[in-house]
Amino acid sequence: MRPPTTPRERSAPEPVPESTSAPVTPDETEPERTPGSQAPSSSESSSPAHEPVTDLSDLPPVWPGRRGLAAAWPGVPLLAALALWVYAVRHTDVSRLDDFGLVTALHPAFWAGLVVLAAGFWFTVRDPRRPSGWPAAYVLGLLVMERATQAVLYPTPLYAWAWKHDGVVDHLLTAGGLQGADRIGDMAVYDQWPGFFAAQAALVRLLGVESTAMYMAWWPLVSSLMLLLPLLLIYRTFTEDRRLIWTAVWLFYVANWVGQDYFSPQSVAFALHLGVLAVVLRRYGRSGGTRGRQRQAVWTVVLSVLVVAIVISHQLTPAMLAVSLLALCLIRRSRDWVPLVTTVVIFLAWCLTAALPFLSAAMPDMIRSVGDVGGNVATGYGATPTGTGAVATSWAARLLSGTVLLLAVAGVWRQRVLRHRATPLLVIAAAPLPMFVASSYGSEMIFRVLMFLLPGAAFFAAAALLPKVRTLAAEAEAGARGPEARVVAPGTGRSGIGVWGPLLVLVAGTLAFVPSYSGKDRINYFPPGEVGLVQRLFDEAPEGSTVVAANRNYPLAYESYGTIDHYWFLDDDRRHVDEILKDPAATLARDMTGVERPGRAYFLLTQGQFANSEMNGQLTGDQLDRIRDSVAASPRFRLVAENGAGVVYELRREGGAER
Amino acid sequence: MTPQDLVTRMLPPFGGWLALAALALPGGSPLRGAAVAVFLAAGPGAALVGLCGPALRARAARGPVETRRPDFARRSDQLERLMLTFLLSVGAVMVVATVLIATHTFSAQRVLLALTLLTTLAAFCPRLRASPPMPRTRKGSAL
Repeated sequence: MRPPTTPRERSAPEPVPESTSAPVTPDETEPERTPGSQAPSSSESSSPAHEPVTDLSDLPPVWPGRRGLAAAWPGVPLLAALALWVYAVRHTDVSRLDDFGLVTALHPAFWAGLVVLAAGFWFTVRDPRRPSGWPAAYVLGLLVMERATQAVLYPTPLYAWAWKHDGVVDHLLTAGGLQGADRIGDMAVYDQWPGFFAAQAALVRLLGVESTAMYMAWWPLVSSLMLLLPLLLIYRTFTEDRRLIWTAVWLFYVANWVGQDYFSPQSVAFALHLGVLAVVLRRYGRSGGTRGRQRQAVWTVVLSVLVVAIVISHQLTPAMLAVSLLALCLIRRSRDWVPLVTTVVIFLAWCLTAALPFLSAAMPDMIRSVGDVGGNVATGYGATPTGTGAVATSWAARLLSGTVLLLAVAGVWRQRVLRHRATPLLVIAAAPLPMFVASSYGSEMIFRVLMFLLPGAAFFAAAALLPKVRTLAAEAEAGARGPEARVVAPGTGRSGIGVWGPLLVLVAGTLAFVPSYSGKDRINYFPPGEVGLVQRLFDEAPEGSTVVAANRNYPLAYESYGTIDHYWFLDDDRRHVDEILKDPAATLARDMTGVERPGRAYFLLTQGQFANSEMNGQLTGDQLDRIRDSVAASPRFRLVAENGAGVVYELRREGGAER
Repeated sequence: MTPQDLVTRMLPPFGGWLALAALALPGGSPLRGAAVAVFLAAGPGAALVGLCGPALRARAARGPVETRRPDFARRSDQLERLMLTFLLSVGAVMVVATVLIATHTFSAQRVLLALTLLTTLAAFCPRLRASPPMPRTRKGSAL
């Protein structure tokens, strides 16, 4: 650990909880002191723009003269941005998405709104005399513009995986209990981590709605809001500077493009994970002996409820949590084995009981992937962005993540004081990286690692955009040397690069979020026609039927998975795909003949499958057209349903009566 | 206990019983949705935080190294209670629903009833308090 260098640090090299942050309870709240009562007066005399960032610049009260209308001016850009957003969503047509997804479909007013919002946020948050509610209002505005736009624009929920999870909830409600692989095959994995789905099953019935599809389009907004309090608490453990806190929150949200906020166990487990980390950072660590342990016991009970909820819901998150808690134990000031042991014991208890069937089957593959970093980082077949739109949006995402990570490195390098004070956060940011070595997690590990390291990275990235943090002692020393010694670092002035540079980064990052997050909406959006077509198929398919499709990118793909089987031929061996291409109707008919009565064999091809195949480097649109035309022309298939979004054919039975 | 304390204490279970009563409303009704959603998102957690609150507060929180505003720590504690209220509620819903579905006794009404009963129980329990400080005595000295 770096030795203390400043006078303040030398005198108190390690922050000891009991002495650093007064244990204030509602009963013992101190009367609010006037600003400056504890801080060097020099800090208070500077103008807001020239005030160097210390940890202490949080929330001075509003100047009396600035109350009223003048104090409310931050509301103007915020309202303007929201007005532009409302106008934009009312004038955006999503019926004909191209390979750039929502990016090219959005009305220009949307982009203008984002620029106004980001700029308004920056000028509001960097003025310490603004009431603290405004940055919060801007962040909520950002969440609405980023995470609610799709819910407003699209008439149906996005994303095949969200529809899959809707199918899992529906299955739980139908089955009324958990089932094993002998009944439902690979889908049994969801019954071994049922926490999220069981809760959703209860919610569907309690709300009295038909299915989760009625509300899951809004889940990205809900799950993003769930992260706000844990994030704030984590950041407030290390700094009082609201500029740093809110800029970090902003950067976290704009850099979190990986799309794990959709209707999924991961979205809730991530919020719980951050909640556990917030509690551990604030309430655990070096403490006062036996008595401290006694007081810790109740916290451990509370923590256990959160950890149990994580463990029963998601496979990866407990592992990430354990790795983060282990990393915290490596630094002296945060060392406390209780949270780690609690998490590991609960995790193992679940893995060795309820989740054992899946883990024992998957263990050989999991062991093989340990150490195969190249394989674990690879995104796999069918995930290669293809076409100008897919490549461009993919690069926008990489650029966004790269920028935030580089900023984080710059923040760690530049902010010496903060690096020392927020070492636990730095450790938490680095903790998920070894997971690359452990598993590929279905070719998604790179995205999950990015998401789990983002809370820490965003904090240091924000620090890179703000002037240097100085200790109180350094600040007082500078104040004692006179105003000239307090000269602001280059670039922190009102018109310097300290204002406009970070603003540019914030605006660019905020804009880059849109292609990163919504650039593949052509794949993820299923228009009502497509939903209706697939629904019609499942309505008429008898038990024991099989649905054959190019890939699983269509809505309701897992509808009735307990009774209806699937075959997605692009998941098959490449040689077999070539056979299908050579003689589509004959090969597919041969693949589909094994279905026993009363089941039937259906061939389904929809626009979602086209989009996924074309934009991810599988078959081209022409090749899929050829397959569809071949099936249409074959006497072995009968057209069941057709609309602008796709076709459904049924394989005729040889020698049997047709309906 | 002041009347205000009593109201605060009884609000979570009241929310639960209200949500149960709201099930009589037609499915999809906004009132039913609001009653259910508010209770599931805050009720069980609020009761638990209320039950454990004094004991939880006995352990000081870490905060920034240098502090200028005394109310910063207080606000952080408030945020923490708010976060726990929500996350514990979410956790409780997931755990109760999972237990019922794993034992093949699942029904949404049972989930809500179980949570309401737990919330009611927590509201009526005496608050958990940190053990009083041990008197400092030397071995063999008379108290």
